Amino acid sequence: MFYYILKKEFLLLFRNLHALLVLFIMPSAFIIIMSIALQNTYSNSIDVKYKVLLSSDEKGKSISDLLEKIEDNNFFEMSYMNEDGKDKNILYKEGFDFIVKIPSNYLINIQNNKDMQIDIYTKPKSSIQTINLLKSLLTANISKQIIKSLLLQLDVDTTQTKDFTNNIVHHYISNVHNFKVTSVQQSVPSWLIFSMFFILIPISNTFINEKNFGTMNRIRSISISLFPILLAKVIPYYIINMVQVCFMIFLGVYLMPYLGVDALQIQGNVGLVFLISSAVSLAAISFALVIANIAKKSEDATSIGGISNILFAALGGIMVPKVIMPERMQEISELSPMSWALDSFLEVFVNGGTMSDIQNSLFKLLIFAIICFLIAYILLQRKK
Amino acid sequence: MAIKITKLDKSYGRVIVLNELNIHIKEGSIFGLLGPNGAGKTTLISILNYLETKNKGEITILGKNYDNDKSYIQKNSSYVPQSYAFYPELTTYENLEFFAALYKIKHKDMKKRIQEAIIMTALEKFQDKQAKNFSGGLKRRLNIAIGLLNNPKILYLDEPTVGIDPQSRKYILDIIKNINTTKNTTIVYTSHYMDEIEYLCDEIAILDDHHIIKKDTKQNLINENSLVKIVLVDEVLEINTTNGFDDLINIFVKIKKDNKKIISIDYGTKSLEEMFLKITKQDLRD
Repeated sequence: MFYYILKKEFLLLFRNLHALLVLFIMPSAFIIIMSIALQNTYSNSIDVKYKVLLSSDEKGKSISDLLEKIEDNNFFEMSYMNEDGKDKNILYKEGFDFIVKIPSNYLINIQNNKDMQIDIYTKPKSSIQTINLLKSLLTANISKQIIKSLLLQLDVDTTQTKDFTNNIVHHYISNVHNFKVTSVQQSVPSWLIFSMFFILIPISNTFINEKNFGTMNRIRSISISLFPILLAKVIPYYIINMVQVCFMIFLGVYLMPYLGVDALQIQGNVGLVFLISSAVSLAAISFALVIANIAKKSEDATSIGGISNILFAALGGIMVPKVIMPERMQEISELSPMSWALDSFLEVFVNGGTMSDIQNSLFKLLIFAIICFLIAYILLQRKK
Repeated sequence: MAIKITKLDKSYGRVIVLNELNIHIKEGSIFGLLGPNGAGKTTLISILNYLETKNKGEITILGKNYDNDKSYIQKNSSYVPQSYAFYPELTTYENLEFFAALYKIKHKDMKKRIQEAIIMTALEKFQDKQAKNFSGGLKRRLNIAIGLLNNPKILYLDEPTVGIDPQSRKYILDIIKNINTTKNTTIVYTSHYMDEIEYLCDEIAILDDHHIIKKDTKQNLINENSLVKIVLVDEVLEINTTNGFDDLINIFVKIKKDNKKIISIDYGTKSLEEMFLKITKQDLRD
């Protein structure tokens, strides 16, 4: 009997292939757009640098050194205006991101402990991180100038002094040797998970049609358990989810380099990727079955399911990386199944994690899948 | 007796749908269930098919207790809902194959049983066609074909001719008659079309006000409503016109000859539809 139930599900699925296209087009578009958009987040430079106007009456080597050193950082494009920039509207008129106003004789004033203030003017949209980066660079370079000047006063030769910045090197700790974190590494798992949960749309459409056409009532009138009916819905959609996984990984590994973005690296165990994908798929399908049971019309399923998926994604670090969330939000994000899925994928993709690293998340996903499936089964049984 | 229902109650919260309903349906009969919208016909059929639960009452189907022998009763009865309860994307054969599997028909018998259902409903030419491309009549026939797969002893047909042309209706009614005569299947038939009920059914029940308000054989109902009542000054004459109007003409000739005065004539209700409207008080039901 199960063979024929399964056959029916496959036939329904393959005769409505166009309904599945969204499951491939949407994540592909997201992966391409987000990988390209976020590629600077994981690099040492950015394509469009912040434009900084350094305004000061001060002339000479100290100012030109300051300009040069800050520009070396690759994040800021420096300009100089030899006057006190009273007209702060120049920020908007000339399209600058920052105006840094440095008073004349700033080095002497600092050394002599005189009142002195450096002002930074910027637009409200500037992030506090960028402002702090500029402040740090100014502080570090002005401090260097002061130390240099003091050492000169003490007749110490500073020509051999190296820039210590180059002695500070960052390392990503991962089980994989020489691993490089890239935007593709983040985007592929994120949008793959998001799209896997959107299996809800084709599942709920076929299921709601069965309910509304009276087919489900007819099945109920036959002496048969509804368990195999529900179970048969899992298998074809599980296969679709697995095809999604293969397609998105293929996209990340082979297509993204052609678009000028780093390729996805899967240095971790491929078997673990399959295991995580399976758990995510079961969770997504079971959740879809609950929504399909609750909803009366396809429109209801699309809106209820769509909203819950977007909430899961927003909470789970799909749309906004969890690391930049406040502590409270990070705690809340632990409630989202997409967060468990993303943690597992990143553990394998980024850290080259092992089974012991992902087993907690896998366990949570499987428990979520079992609970949702049981709820769907109870709802189906009770709907009389 | 195919179905015996005694004092059946069903309500949704405070809304009473069926109240102390009693019906006996003979084995091998075609039983017509009539009733205005919202009278509870579909609820009654749903209860008999375990799609709704009853609140109270005794039901015996095919000699088995409704509450204790669910599996036997479900195996031997079949429900054809009003809606097209199949998969439009599948072909006739694929639909029948799927439902045959649900009826747990063994693989070796499946082909034969499907072919029987196809022949009974004259779907031979359409077995490899997707149901979504069918006309209303073909869809109705497929709906019935699915209901025949388990060789049911009782077949419930809930308004099986809604929304189709007169030719297809006639075709389907003949199919239903054929199922009843060749397989001795008890058929419980609900419809709003009185002519169908009149054409098909041996027994008719009218469900209204939460219970059966009228139940009799078709012949008795027609006889009862074919009486022409002539009120004279000193007597009332009742003439049965079921078998023609010769008696009525003779009576009129006699009244004329005797020079009697007619006070009123009640022509009775010849059609089932008029009778139905008369019994159900002609109120509009929303």
